[in-house]
Amino acid sequence: MTPTEPDLSTAAPHLEGPDGDLRHSPLEAAHEALGAKLVGFGGWLMPLAYPAGTLAEHRACRTAAVAFDVSHLGTVRVEGPGSLDLLQAQLTNDLGKIAPGRAQYTHLLDAADGSVLDDIIVWWLDDEVFDVMPNASNTDRVRGAIGGEDRTAERAVIAVQGPAARALLAPLAPEAAAVGHFAVTTFDWRGVPATAAGTGYTGEDGVEVSLPADAAPAFWKSLLTLGVAPAGLGARDTLRLEAGLPLHGHELGPGITPLQAGLSWVVGWDKEDFRGRAPLDVERAGGPTRRLRGLLAAGRQPPREGAAVFAGGDRVGTVTSGNFSPVLGRGIAMALVDTAAGLDIGATAEVDVRGRALPVTVAALPFVRPGEAGRH
Amino acid sequence: MQVPDTLRYTSDHEWARADGGRVRVGITDYAQDALGDVVFVGLPEVGTAVEAGAVLGEVESTKSVSEIYSPLAGTVVAVNSALGDAPEQLNADPYGEGWMVEIEPADPAAFEGLLDAAGYRELTAE
Repeated sequence: MTPTEPDLSTAAPHLEGPDGDLRHSPLEAAHEALGAKLVGFGGWLMPLAYPAGTLAEHRACRTAAVAFDVSHLGTVRVEGPGSLDLLQAQLTNDLGKIAPGRAQYTHLLDAADGSVLDDIIVWWLDDEVFDVMPNASNTDRVRGAIGGEDRTAERAVIAVQGPAARALLAPLAPEAAAVGHFAVTTFDWRGVPATAAGTGYTGEDGVEVSLPADAAPAFWKSLLTLGVAPAGLGARDTLRLEAGLPLHGHELGPGITPLQAGLSWVVGWDKEDFRGRAPLDVERAGGPTRRLRGLLAAGRQPPREGAAVFAGGDRVGTVTSGNFSPVLGRGIAMALVDTAAGLDIGATAEVDVRGRALPVTVAALPFVRPGEAGRH
Repeated sequence: MQVPDTLRYTSDHEWARADGGRVRVGITDYAQDALGDVVFVGLPEVGTAVEAGAVLGEVESTKSVSEIYSPLAGTVVAVNSALGDAPEQLNADPYGEGWMVEIEPADPAAFEGLLDAAGYRELTAE
């Protein structure tokens, strides 16, 4: 047995093997005690899966509740007069659409070509106080654009996700359990300052909690005692794929604009200007030449990242992420497909799987909607 | 990690069991644990002629795609088609219900040239 395609430890630009100079989560000892497999991800040593395994963790998130350690995400505090104007100028989305106490998904673009340098969640805590949360490996790049203070090392972030997430979280942190969808709130947890946001990366309802590194292990342990199952990066990836959510380095990255990724809604077109606007305006006027599509296989075998997509004998695109959908029981993928090929929802295509043609159907994203898992 | 004494092994983490004139082949406990949850198994057609070390099939988990190599030269005489709907058997029972193919070896004596359990344990202890 030899891997013909790299596994999670080497597959993506910001995934690497467990060796080397990796950063450590405040929860690492807890993961080790649970028997987690740890893997390098974005410069951090993080859980890939716990003994229950990726499929069981995935199903637990769709039907009950799981907790992910997402301390590898960055936290960059931007505050003081001018902070709002700075973020409005540097990031694509329009903070004018929200207000303090809300969270927003946004992009940092390459000024030269409008491609996505990082996708980010902004927690707007107070008038001129923002926590900007980049992807792990992009934190320095984002700080280059917006400055701010890197607070990543001071805290842990735990994502509690799934239809039962709020109910199970309520006895431990009622303020966090009550936070609205894409709302942000600060609260006191056993004497330490904590922040909760109604955000996540699974397609399910849930809450993300940031709290001081020292307090995080007790919070994590209490969550598991309340019946929340631990879940690793493997399940996080299959969950976000079913939910049609992009992962930087796959659906977003060098050469890929928000328009190509189908994320025009992340762009504040009504804003005066922002970094990367000029090339994006040009692309918008002509229409993007390729577009992110969902691909659904007939059977279990998934199309995989990097595989060529063919239609009518012509190469029309490339798979950006692919895996098995535990909910659908079939292979699913996202792919960047030439718009000229005219592949709309329901069209058929083929993916080259190591020399064999795997038939697929173009499917709407997301593949699975919140709370839908029980219907399949 | 289970390494049954009655089986033979390859350095690529396949196991082989002599059974009458046939050799049954699968992947080891060590292999299934390293792969994580198996979601798809690709098997050869019955009647396929294989060389020792040639690709016999493939196993896909949630995190990777791996090729399985034939421990021996010979002809595929049976495949475990139940894995089509239940690939998780490779994780649950790698030496039993998770078997993959049966080969009629071209040279039955070649079986004795495979690693024994002690040799495979030494390999995976590294």
